[in-house]
Amino acid sequence: MKRHPSTLIIDVLLWIFALLYLYPLLLVVINSFKTFSEITTNVVALPKSLLMDNFRNAFRLMEYPRLFLNTLIATAIGVVGVIAVSALAGYKLSRTKTKYSWVLFIILIAPMMIPFHSFMIALVKVAKGMGLTRTPMGLGVLYWGLGAPLALFMYHGFVKSIPMELDDCALIDGASPFRAFAQVIFPLLQPVTVSVIVLNAMWMWNDFLLPLLILSGSKKAYTLQLAAYNFFGQYKIEWNYAMAGVLLTLMPAVVFYLALQQYIIKGMVSGAVKS
Amino acid sequence: MKRAISFLVVLTLACASVFAAGAKEEAAEQKPVTLNLMFYSPELQEQYNDMVAAYKAETGVTLDITVLQADYRSVLTSKINSGDIPDVFMTSAYADNSTYKDYAYDMSNEPFVKQLQPSALQGVTVAGKVIGYPFLVQSHSFIYNKKVFADVGITELPKTLDQLEAAAKKIEAAGIQPFATGFKEFWVLPQTAWQALAPAVVKNYGGYAKFVAGLNDGSLKFKNVSEMAQVFDLLDLIKKYGGPKPNESDFNDQTSSIATGKVAIIHQGNWAEGTIRKTNEAADIGYLVGPAGNDAAGAGIMFDSNQTIRVAKDGKNLKAALAWLNWLTTSEYGKNWIPGKIKQMSPIIGSDAPDSQIAKATAKLLGEKAPGYPWFYQMFPTGTEQQLGAVLQGYCAGQTDRAATLDAMDAAYTKIAKAAN
Amino acid sequence: MKKKTSRFLVFAAFTVPAFAAILVSVEVPFLMSVLYSFTKWNGLDRVPLFIGMANYTEIFLDDPDMMRALSFTFQQTFFRVILTNAIALLLAVLLDGEIRGKNALRAIFYIPNIISLIVIGYIWRFIFSKGFDSFYEMTKAPIFMLSWLGDGDMAFGSVLLVSVWQSIGFYLVIYIAGLQIVPRDVIEASMIDGAGPHSRFYKITLPLIMPSVTVAVFHSLSNSLKSFDVIFSLTNGGPGIATTTIALDIYKTAFVVSRFGYGTAKSVLLFLLILAFTFFQVKMFKSREIEA
Repeated sequence: MKRHPSTLIIDVLLWIFALLYLYPLLLVVINSFKTFSEITTNVVALPKSLLMDNFRNAFRLMEYPRLFLNTLIATAIGVVGVIAVSALAGYKLSRTKTKYSWVLFIILIAPMMIPFHSFMIALVKVAKGMGLTRTPMGLGVLYWGLGAPLALFMYHGFVKSIPMELDDCALIDGASPFRAFAQVIFPLLQPVTVSVIVLNAMWMWNDFLLPLLILSGSKKAYTLQLAAYNFFGQYKIEWNYAMAGVLLTLMPAVVFYLALQQYIIKGMVSGAVKS
Repeated sequence: MKRAISFLVVLTLACASVFAAGAKEEAAEQKPVTLNLMFYSPELQEQYNDMVAAYKAETGVTLDITVLQADYRSVLTSKINSGDIPDVFMTSAYADNSTYKDYAYDMSNEPFVKQLQPSALQGVTVAGKVIGYPFLVQSHSFIYNKKVFADVGITELPKTLDQLEAAAKKIEAAGIQPFATGFKEFWVLPQTAWQALAPAVVKNYGGYAKFVAGLNDGSLKFKNVSEMAQVFDLLDLIKKYGGPKPNESDFNDQTSSIATGKVAIIHQGNWAEGTIRKTNEAADIGYLVGPAGNDAAGAGIMFDSNQTIRVAKDGKNLKAALAWLNWLTTSEYGKNWIPGKIKQMSPIIGSDAPDSQIAKATAKLLGEKAPGYPWFYQMFPTGTEQQLGAVLQGYCAGQTDRAATLDAMDAAYTKIAKAAN
Repeated sequence: MKKKTSRFLVFAAFTVPAFAAILVSVEVPFLMSVLYSFTKWNGLDRVPLFIGMANYTEIFLDDPDMMRALSFTFQQTFFRVILTNAIALLLAVLLDGEIRGKNALRAIFYIPNIISLIVIGYIWRFIFSKGFDSFYEMTKAPIFMLSWLGDGDMAFGSVLLVSVWQSIGFYLVIYIAGLQIVPRDVIEASMIDGAGPHSRFYKITLPLIMPSVTVAVFHSLSNSLKSFDVIFSLTNGGPGIATTTIALDIYKTAFVVSRFGYGTAKSVLLFLLILAFTFFQVKMFKSREIEA
């Protein structure tokens, strides 16, 4: 396919837009290499020298390795659970075209509309009653119900692009409904699954308020975001550590996203349909 | 891939339940005493850590302090609600006495209370009962950069509104921005405003308790307080000489600007000194009294103990919490902690003065018999600081005129007072 | 008969896990909170006082601040949903085609969405005040001297800018995924038929990605109506209450003024509002989704 000259213009414009778009993050990066007084005197100036001190100190103050693990556990458990429950329910509700299915669907996606602050105190009570507080594992389990509505909605819609005949094909082979789903339908939903992984992993990794409520009181169980927050006070923001802390928390998420990006492209429906 | 996922799911669920159970057991088996504390003021994190280490070394008791700021109240509320109340927690004085009345321990009979200054105790005493421990004694007023004043040639410190305006004019003529307003912070505005009203409350309204009671039962309205004009005049002045973007100035802007001499005057408290010095170790700062119209004798500083430590009366570790407060009040480390490490003023009788210019300025002004007004605005029902601050912010942003602002203040206050009863 | 039961059992087996999780994490706590909306409670007193519908009447009769917050929220939502989805969709289409450095670009647009909102608030505050000061000194362009956060009207735009900037990445992911499902052979066939990029988009691509559009619009609609974090750290609802959204108003009512019962009543109303809006939106969009 020959490249039209207009795509070059679009290329350039897009890149300019992208760099402007990223400028605030650039500021974070620049400032993470400066000393406190350098930052407060001039935010936009380039650092005098590339200090690694901020990173070293933030790393130490945040107890990075342990908190990294905590955050990873909570996020992993959360993501796997969300996918498991949402793919199953989203698929079934989409295929079942009865009134009850529609009502249940609404009940399951309605939570997306409820502002978190309105039920967070009650949630802590429920979590405590179920023994889910003070551990990253418990936090992960609580994430299932929070991430499921959107994921379910996405699966519900995307399932429509998979022909119904496939469902029947899979069943004819004598497989149980679960196996039919897991081995035939689910792989075809790969783009959605990867998107769900990305979206949920990101917000769980960066989540602040729920971990604060669930984990406060047991420092050993903290997530990275909670530790980074400590640098932001009302009277004294430790800008240098805060910026470094932000980057340290952000980096794994960015790497993860870049790694997964390609999988969104790979899964193709048309191939499966032909077979 | 799919089988792997289902296997992972089952495994995760299994692990989750095992781990949760294990964690619970571990928590129950905890050996020596660990006290749970919840504080704000994260700028004091280092000093908190230092104190924790010292206490552990001396007594073996672990203090687990959770430090928050913006979300402090919502987390504390949610913890209290889920039955997880911290053994010790921090609040304001005055109005918070009634907010937390179901949870604060009455420490009137504890021996260490006698070691605390009576003036610091008045904010936490209700009907003769002491239900809080004053943490820090603080002051706020107008901090000024001595070097800028000297360079510009101001020799006499202003005490009235007219004098302050004259000083501001002189500073501006010298090419320096007179004020960093701090108007972006909702708490700076009430702080600045109420100082201008303080002397009138004493003189014309029968004192703070009467004033607040009148506002609470609706017999007194802000729009009928003629001295509010002084407040507006002061805010107008600060805004006029507050640079091109007066409504965007926050705490950070205030402290860094005055530290570098970019600005001459800010309204802040002694807690700001630490941040100012972090930007410029050599900053030379002092206090101006807060003008109350043109009444020079009435101009003073705001001086009180508002940050309060409370002990949960139903806490599991009540005895240990009281033991810690006792240590804080009587031990060598404890007595030195606030003046020496935190560098602020301590409520403990006989404690040293901290090595802080503002603290010294406070002591000096009080010594010269300048009025030291209590933070009477903390007696307003909980939540008014935010609401009234927002209304005043609207005034400064030019959204409402004086009459509309006063009406809005009355409306906000009435609503909150009604709900608080 | 047996077939019907077993069909039902299968249905239950597929849907119960999600149902249970959502009940536990959201619906049960929310219903518990709804009970509080009928009380006068500061969140701390051991015994809340039952006052029936008094909170709800107060909302409709005596809360001008809340009405202002609602109005502000609606206006923000209108612009935000349109801008976010339009830009995200456009970017998704562009980044699906032949562009150099596609992957890097996708990452760049996504990253603002994964930065913590507190940080975003602080950074943009810097940019609008100190950053713009520096830009002004460099360029002398008057646009940098306006009070982007200090003036009520300008703040509307500033808040909108930051919100859209922060959320585009999220919807970009959804739209890119949606575009992958558009079969290549259908596109190629249409190109052979001589269809230009515009008509190709409107007649083929858009209808096929309606499911993503439905999800994205639904999510952005309800998210905008619930907007809290960016406002909290960027302006804290100020100056005054010029940029206070309904969610921030609820937060302040419940946690700052300590009127927990009243605050919960407000959030029940917010929920019903969002429910109404999104119900119509989803119904409208779902009818345009095509089954393969």
